[in-house]
Amino acid sequence: MIEIEGLEKTYAKGTKALRGVDLKIGPGMFGLLGPNGAGKTTLMRILAGIVNPTRGTVRVAGYDLRTEAGKRAVKSILGYLPQELGMYPELTAAQLVDYMAILKGLDDAAERKRRVAEVLEMVALSGAAGRRIKTFSGGMKRRVGIAQALVNDPKLLIVDEPTAGLDPEERIRFRNLLVRLAGERTVILSTHIVEDIGQTCRDLAVLGRGSVLFRGSPVGLTQVAEGHVWTVTRPRLDEPAPGATIVSMLHLAEGVQLRVVGAWPEADPSAQRARPSLEDGYVRLMQGDSSQRSSGSP
Amino acid sequence: MIRYAWLTYRRELLWFPGALLGFFVVMAWIMRHPDVRFAIARGYLGFFVPLVAGILAAYSVLDDPALELRFSTPLRPSQILVGRLLLVLAVQTAGAFVFQLLALGMGVDFSPLGSILAVQRAWIVPTLALAAIGVTGSLAAAQCATGAFLAGAVWLVQLLMKGWLLANGRHLYLFMGVLEPHHPDLLASQGAVLAASLVLLTFGWALLHRRERYL
Repeated sequence: MIEIEGLEKTYAKGTKALRGVDLKIGPGMFGLLGPNGAGKTTLMRILAGIVNPTRGTVRVAGYDLRTEAGKRAVKSILGYLPQELGMYPELTAAQLVDYMAILKGLDDAAERKRRVAEVLEMVALSGAAGRRIKTFSGGMKRRVGIAQALVNDPKLLIVDEPTAGLDPEERIRFRNLLVRLAGERTVILSTHIVEDIGQTCRDLAVLGRGSVLFRGSPVGLTQVAEGHVWTVTRPRLDEPAPGATIVSMLHLAEGVQLRVVGAWPEADPSAQRARPSLEDGYVRLMQGDSSQRSSGSP
Repeated sequence: MIRYAWLTYRRELLWFPGALLGFFVVMAWIMRHPDVRFAIARGYLGFFVPLVAGILAAYSVLDDPALELRFSTPLRPSQILVGRLLLVLAVQTAGAFVFQLLALGMGVDFSPLGSILAVQRAWIVPTLALAAIGVTGSLAAAQCATGAFLAGAVWLVQLLMKGWLLANGRHLYLFMGVLEPHHPDLLASQGAVLAASLVLLTFGWALLHRRERYL
């Protein structure tokens, strides 16, 4: 479905957002993880035909995104939910989805009406279809965003940080919705929330400073931290050893139990190796990236 | 499509020209002297309709809360540019026609500007030109305010430097239709202004291909 080779993006002010990204993405749910500023949004915008690559090739369903014709062809099979979702507050949910359907080229009014009702039903907004968007909560706005992205029945759905700012219940509902949608299309979920990827994707990539740091399954990413995760109980909270990151802590009667990823002296009697989680794997990977950065590698 | 274009049009972009239209109608109604009424009518049609078009055009494309969503649709840059600009021009055209009808009702005589067609050309040509300056300026600077400032600056320079421009650059003088309606080079000047506006719009269209500048 998506083939990316040697993709580079340098913005006008010289900021290198992507540095030679190679990825192949097939049908189903694909997770794109990375810290803020890793280049995720740039990659999503390139795939959506909004940002032009500086170098490299991107093909979506065989269409070359370097050409205007290719971009238009991709956009006709694309559903896109941007990170900063701007909408028209005075429109109702049904009007916004209908308007986006028109912009996406759905000219048949009857078919469009049917499709608008269908996608609002899919995101559980049928009851609020006639309400103005300005009265919606953050979660409802995100669902309208998904509805507009789905209205043209896209083969490729790109969602950029869709759960940011949602309460836990909305986040779970949103994740479940994405999994349901991935059955018949490629869904790319870009986020910095590891849990969202762990709960939804079987295939993922981690971006750091514009490069792919990891490509594989959640199990594979978890294994990156194998042997590097510890639980340590201390009478009080100390600074972690250099090269170690505290990922969680639990206050107990006897002190603070820390979960630590990274190097830890095995001689410490309170330290016990722990089974890594996906988040541990991600933290371990990022430790490697930041140590490379501090040692001065490009 | 037109319905949604209208529904997504910012209301303040409607109040501003509406308020200005109301102001000039009231002024024309208060001032009873025919020459003063004509001056007010000429001022609104020939100077203020174009100025407001330039300012509103500067905001027409980029001042869109759903710009990234719009960019993710298969719309061509030309469709985005023309679609948003037409709305501004439609509002200004409606204002100009309503004002002319009201002015005619008050007995304003537009014949010093020439035929009915000449009167329409006198406001349409500078309106298109300042709209092109406004929208292209905002696209070039990736900032609405810069486009509006450019349109305003050109408007002011053209008004203040009328004599110099008529002597040295009459083919690019925007207000010849209202200030020098019987100038022998009027049609050539209006043709040149229209051509320059088209060149500017083409430049704006080319700029809009680099969508990333506007996000």
